[in-house]
Amino acid sequence: MVSGLSSERQPGKLRYTDENMSSRIRVFDSSVGSKLLIGLTGLALFLYLITHIAGNALIFLGADTFNTYAHTLTSNPLIPIIELGLVLVFLTHIFKTVQMFVRNKAARPVAYAVKKPAGTPSRKTLASSTMIVSGLWLLLFVVLHVQAFKYGLEYEAASGVRDLYRIEMETFASPLTVAFYVVSMLLVGSHLWHGASSALQSLGLDHPSWTPRILAAGKIAAVAIAGGFVVIALWAHVTGGAR
Amino acid sequence: MRLNLKIWRQAGPDGAGKLVDYAADHVSPDMSFLEMLDVINERLVKQGEDAISFDSDCREGICGMCSLVINGVPHGPDRGTTVCQLHMRRFKDGETVTIEPWRARAFPVVKDLVVDRSAFDRIIAAGGYVSINVGGAPDGNAIPVSKQVAEQAMDSAACIGCGACVAACKNASAHLFMSAKIAQLSVLPQGQVERTTRVVAMIAQADADGFGSCSNEGECEAVCPKEIPISNIARMSREFTRAVFAGK
Amino acid sequence: MSSSKLDAKVPGGPIADKWDRHKFEMKLVNPANKRKYTVIVVGTGLAGGSAAASLGELGYNVLNFCIQDSPRRAHSIAAQGGINAAKNYQNDGDSVYRLFYDTVKGGDYRSREANVYRLAQLSVNIIDQCVAQGVPFAREYGGLLDNRSFGGAQVSRTFYARGQTGQQLLLGAYQSLMRQVHQGAVRMFARREMLDLVIVDGKARGIIVRNLITGAIERYAADAVILATGGYGTVYYLSTNAVNSNVTAAWRAHKRGALFANPCYTQIHPTCIPVSGDHQSKLTLMSESLRNDGRVWVPKKQGDKRPPEQIPEEDRDYYLERKYPSFGNLVPRDVASRNAKQACDDGRGVGDSGLAVYLDFKDAIARVGPETIKAKYGNLFQMYAKITDDDPYAVPMRIYPAIHYTMGGLWVDYNLMSNVPGLHVLGEANFSDHGANRLGASALMQGLCDGYFVIPYTIGHYLASTALPKVTTDHDAFGEAADNVQQRINQLLAVKGSRGIREIHRELGRIMWDDVGMARSAQSLTRALARIPALRDEFWHDVSVPGSPDNLNQSLEYAGRVADYLEFAELLALDALQRSESCGGHFREESQTPDGEALRDDDNFSYVAAWEFQGVGRAPALHKEALVFDEVHPTQRSYK
Ligand SMILES: Cc1cc2nc3c(=O)[nH]c(=O)nc-3n(C[C@H](O)[C@H](O)[C@H](O)COP(=O)(O)OP(=O)(O)OC[C@H]3O[C@@H](n4cnc5c(N)ncnc54)[C@H](O)[C@@H]3O)c2cc1C
Ligand code: FES
Repeated sequence: MVSGLSSERQPGKLRYTDENMSSRIRVFDSSVGSKLLIGLTGLALFLYLITHIAGNALIFLGADTFNTYAHTLTSNPLIPIIELGLVLVFLTHIFKTVQMFVRNKAARPVAYAVKKPAGTPSRKTLASSTMIVSGLWLLLFVVLHVQAFKYGLEYEAASGVRDLYRIEMETFASPLTVAFYVVSMLLVGSHLWHGASSALQSLGLDHPSWTPRILAAGKIAAVAIAGGFVVIALWAHVTGGAR
Repeated sequence: MRLNLKIWRQAGPDGAGKLVDYAADHVSPDMSFLEMLDVINERLVKQGEDAISFDSDCREGICGMCSLVINGVPHGPDRGTTVCQLHMRRFKDGETVTIEPWRARAFPVVKDLVVDRSAFDRIIAAGGYVSINVGGAPDGNAIPVSKQVAEQAMDSAACIGCGACVAACKNASAHLFMSAKIAQLSVLPQGQVERTTRVVAMIAQADADGFGSCSNEGECEAVCPKEIPISNIARMSREFTRAVFAGK
Repeated sequence: MSSSKLDAKVPGGPIADKWDRHKFEMKLVNPANKRKYTVIVVGTGLAGGSAAASLGELGYNVLNFCIQDSPRRAHSIAAQGGINAAKNYQNDGDSVYRLFYDTVKGGDYRSREANVYRLAQLSVNIIDQCVAQGVPFAREYGGLLDNRSFGGAQVSRTFYARGQTGQQLLLGAYQSLMRQVHQGAVRMFARREMLDLVIVDGKARGIIVRNLITGAIERYAADAVILATGGYGTVYYLSTNAVNSNVTAAWRAHKRGALFANPCYTQIHPTCIPVSGDHQSKLTLMSESLRNDGRVWVPKKQGDKRPPEQIPEEDRDYYLERKYPSFGNLVPRDVASRNAKQACDDGRGVGDSGLAVYLDFKDAIARVGPETIKAKYGNLFQMYAKITDDDPYAVPMRIYPAIHYTMGGLWVDYNLMSNVPGLHVLGEANFSDHGANRLGASALMQGLCDGYFVIPYTIGHYLASTALPKVTTDHDAFGEAADNVQQRINQLLAVKGSRGIREIHRELGRIMWDDVGMARSAQSLTRALARIPALRDEFWHDVSVPGSPDNLNQSLEYAGRVADYLEFAELLALDALQRSESCGGHFREESQTPDGEALRDDDNFSYVAAWEFQGVGRAPALHKEALVFDEVHPTQRSYK
């Protein structure tokens, strides 16, 4: 340990020591290890979202295609395992981010009377400052969303598979639901606006000429994904209502 | 020029502090910010009042001693500038200027605008060096170092340890500070031997001292008087990952 | 005539063998016993930081002190230009002997040959050590270390890390120091100010410090004490030194019997940004390299207040080029400085204050283009613009000389020990290696040489050859010293007058600059010797030091330092008066060649003046160490 340094203050105790925790946990309990884990899980969720929207986009091709796709997907025997993995990734992401948020708050017990963003080249945005808010909202959203679409209504389509198309159309018939979805998707966009490139930075991906492109790509992806889901919801509302 | 100052006064580490109003008259645009405070202090001293405590030494932007948050931005409005190099021509007549200390759990206030930054020393003590004793060094030219690597190391080594990065970060994180040292030593051949142990030890010490983690906002880079980029933080992540795989 | 107090203990033999021989002859401390010895190191600059780290590595129990909040902030951090070493990597004819020769000559034959030779010898090891620590020195494309020529040297022997050489060297030493702190070999005491030296049975055995945070007066005992507390340039109030630089530690040691040598040797740097007003707290150095391309001039006519661009060529006086056709703008620091002062004294100074000369890049920009100038000096131009709000690409820079370095300091022998046994002094705080003038890039070299390579040997010799019965801080001598410190603090707080500390410091600075500055005369020095004690009296009767003694009180710290300067300044002026010759940075108007150059008087002044304290306001006793030049024969400098 460090002795007699600069002030009377005793140096802080190491949070994790060889004695009290296994080395893997120690790694991921550290501030950098936490970042790595958050980045890694965040990236996984981001990739998941891309496949999700790609699948959802099939809705534009009509009920049959969409329902067949959904059926193929859900009847795959690997799906429960993947789902379990996804749940674990999701929970880890939530646990680490909330834990880090709490620790980060504790790192500044007295707030500034005046605090202003520092400007370029800072990447601070409204989105980056509200990750915990958008994140927790999305937790709520995901619970409701999974409940509605995975464990919700069971219609059978003519072909005998679950008629997810109809479920979707009916769900989005309600303006309230659409509003909830649109708000949530804007928050997804906001979360990704910072989160997508941030995950890569957390994982140490950085390059003088690639980093600016990654930053831009992250924002484009955020708009595309959020926008895509919003369009689907609105389209479902409009066409579903018209039916 | 005349300014209204709101300055954080706090009697000691345990006391509560508050912003106190001071008027700064006859401010010359050629004054540095600290000289403007000197003038106020001179007035207070003559009146027998306790002067405003603030840290400074070199007054040319290299020692890292000066440490004021001005209107919510560490080191004030100029990019790549310490507060000792900030000049009053940057402010407008009649402006209100709020002056606060660095705020972080790991940097407790000593008095007024002075904080205790010994946690930074402890981070370096944990591993921010090459473990060689005096005496055994090989000839300086024995190991060539490419110009590009030397420049890269110097970019990171330029850190003055002022702590503005911590002050600016919403998490009061020391990641930019320690990553700069880790990056410097990880690119140079001299730093290779302890490359993995160093990064783990320094991070553990920073965590123990109560600094927060990093949210990749880069406010630190924006206020850094030496404009040290957060690419150092990305490098620290890589070094850490490397150490994890090496089983450290 | 050498005084009995002053035995320089220079070893015998040819100059090139002295150090090796001495290293062999010195006694060693058994490795197992080192831990039993406690050594106090005051200062964490290049000298103190490197000493504390090296002694920790050797196994001594080290207590290290500094006034800043971290050892990394010592004033050494500000050095820009570089560090000399006789590596001869450039194959341009450098050698240990040449560096030795240049340093003795540059010091105007007022330094001790044996010390300088050792410095040149050890310079090569410094670079190796620093590279191994990971100091990112500038490199060439092939990966080898780059050098530049500096301060008018004819060889390229200066190693550098951009414009931040001091910072990088200091961080190297600091990191080594922190490693020792981590291992428990060194205990670090930051924000502690040494306020007295404790002498027991004639030997330095401890110090009294004030804990600057709690105000507590603390006592520390040891077997030896090392002071590496830097220079006293801030006695001039305005200087390029950090604002907390002080003479306090050295001065209090002086009051306890340590001799102060050559205090009048001060160095003035010709290219600093001029003073802009009374509020100014320090002066910023602009690298000397600017004179490679800039031309120095003032208007020919007195009081010509036209803006520079409106002054035609025929109305400009490029006085350095006129007076020194062969060296032109590249004359040494002291010559350039004195000529700037003369021009301003003549009423031809420029800027609002009339205390500045132009450094003009117009011709250089026309010759090589703004891009080339920017590549060479971009950061300096930017710094200048930031401070002055002028664009040096468009209008000439205004520059003026400023106090930059102090060659004088506590007297030490070849072992870097003062006349007080056990008290060692390193770095700028001692007087040893630079004579009457220091060459550029040699202070960093000296600090690290003292700390890494000299003191680890010589302190071992002292400890091994001296009987050191155990002393604790309960000893009466500690009590007496602590009371002494406490009393002085009480006195300062008790005055409760009406004058500001800074105001008095500023006034002292003005006396020193006007009367004991770049050009000194019997008349000006006598005047200063009357004005300083008067100001000191005023200080003790009318200063206001607010606040309490038992917490952080920067006014109290500052007042203590100014109080010491008010005593020390008198010694500086007295030394200058006594030395009626001109040499190096010390210019006596009475002693000049017909062309106005500094004229040495080797017959009468080839000695080190070491002063012994006799009481405040009482004439100190002068001891002389005769300087013998076996190797380098004194000649008159000429830059015509
Ligand atoms: C602007 C500038 C540029 C320079 N550039 C160069 C250059 O390019 N090349 C070169 O060779 N030289 C240069 N120099 C000179 C050189 O930097 C210094 O001479 C040298 O660094 C002094 O080192 P030091 O270790 O002796 O003292 P310092 O670095 O001054 O350290 C003094 C230490 O003593 C401590 N201390 C002081 N008083 C007390 C006290 N009372 N109690 C406790 N601790 C105390 C301080 O905290 C500090 O740690 C430059 C100087 C200046 C001002
Ligand atoms: S006082 Fe040294 S950096 Fe500002």
